[in-house]
Amino acid sequence: MGTKPSVPKITAQDRAILDLKLQRDKLKQYQKKIQIILDREHAIAREHMAAGQKDRAVIALRRRKYQQSMLVKTDTQLENLEQLVSTIEFSLVEVSVFHGLKQGNEVLKQIHKEMNPETVEKLLEETQEAREYQTEISAMLANTLTTDEEEAVQEELEQIQAEVIQEEKGQEVQLPSVPTVQPVISEREPEVTESNHGKVPVLVE
Amino acid sequence: MTLSTQTTPSGFLLPSIHSAPPFFTEQPNPTTQAIATDHWIRLILTYARHRKLFSLKVEDAETSGNDWDEILKNERINRKMLPSHLSNILNAMVKKNVAVYEPPKQTHSVVLYWRTPEEWAEALHEWASSTGQLNTIMTYYDITDPPINSELTNIPILLLKKAIAVLTRLGKAQVIGIAEGEGVRFFAGLGNK
Repeated sequence: MGTKPSVPKITAQDRAILDLKLQRDKLKQYQKKIQIILDREHAIAREHMAAGQKDRAVIALRRRKYQQSMLVKTDTQLENLEQLVSTIEFSLVEVSVFHGLKQGNEVLKQIHKEMNPETVEKLLEETQEAREYQTEISAMLANTLTTDEEEAVQEELEQIQAEVIQEEKGQEVQLPSVPTVQPVISEREPEVTESNHGKVPVLVE
Repeated sequence: MTLSTQTTPSGFLLPSIHSAPPFFTEQPNPTTQAIATDHWIRLILTYARHRKLFSLKVEDAETSGNDWDEILKNERINRKMLPSHLSNILNAMVKKNVAVYEPPKQTHSVVLYWRTPEEWAEALHEWASSTGQLNTIMTYYDITDPPINSELTNIPILLLKKAIAVLTRLGKAQVIGIAEGEGVRFFAGLGNK
């Protein structure tokens, strides 16, 4: 504990804003005061009228009028001050937006520095080269296979095929039993052609 | 004797003890009086909270037509608080730290702490952030007399300053002083809330 959380420094700007706002407060308080005086003068005028002192009532009302004009004046002043304050505060927001933009721009620049067109071009070139090299190697490897070993491969394949056929033959030795009854000639059935074995004549002229 | 609670015109529910005549008289027995004083303190603070009253003066018991009429007097039983009694209660409140003499160095009027400065600090910070006034410089007048009423409207400067001091310690506020007066700036804080 005891570590003070950092707070921004108070700048001359801050002081100026505070000063403006305090001035504004003073005006507001002044207005409040005048409003109270206005109400009082009105009451006084009424009292005088009730007492039949017309001239005195007129004086009170005149004073009231004067105060009223003061109120209007302070109103415009207050408006000016408030406008100034809000303009300053808006400018501060703009400054922070500008600062944000600047930082973003900086970051973008940094990134671009690491990724300029020359290096990208070079990188792409290198990739292209590497790819070509790779295809070359593949082609070379494929070539060596066809010349010498392709035949051996084919031979081995045939051998395996033959073995498989041999195995199948060895397994299928169950022959159908001899019929015990006299065969009866049934109605003529259409002869089974070779097409049933999967061989379909293609392009017969 | 049956005592009942009573609702005042301002909508405050008076406790039944408020209808007991002895409650308005200082008791010679210190133990009894201490209990009565405790009740009075609680009553004063809850009433102050209800009406948002910040100060209590000894003379409030002498005059009528002030904000405290509803509890310092009970016309139904024809009793009222005597100024000397109220003065003693104020003294007890200051001792219990639920009020301070304001202005200091006198014993006639106090500022009531129906919220502690810490609670006010929280309310103040919440108000500032909910109204989007963080990071802007504000005058005390901005806080005590805002265009839209808040719970901080009319808070005594003394209490406001204490609340700001609490926030300053937490790094959530900064006081700016110039020749013309003082201002304050609130910060979001460190997100530990």
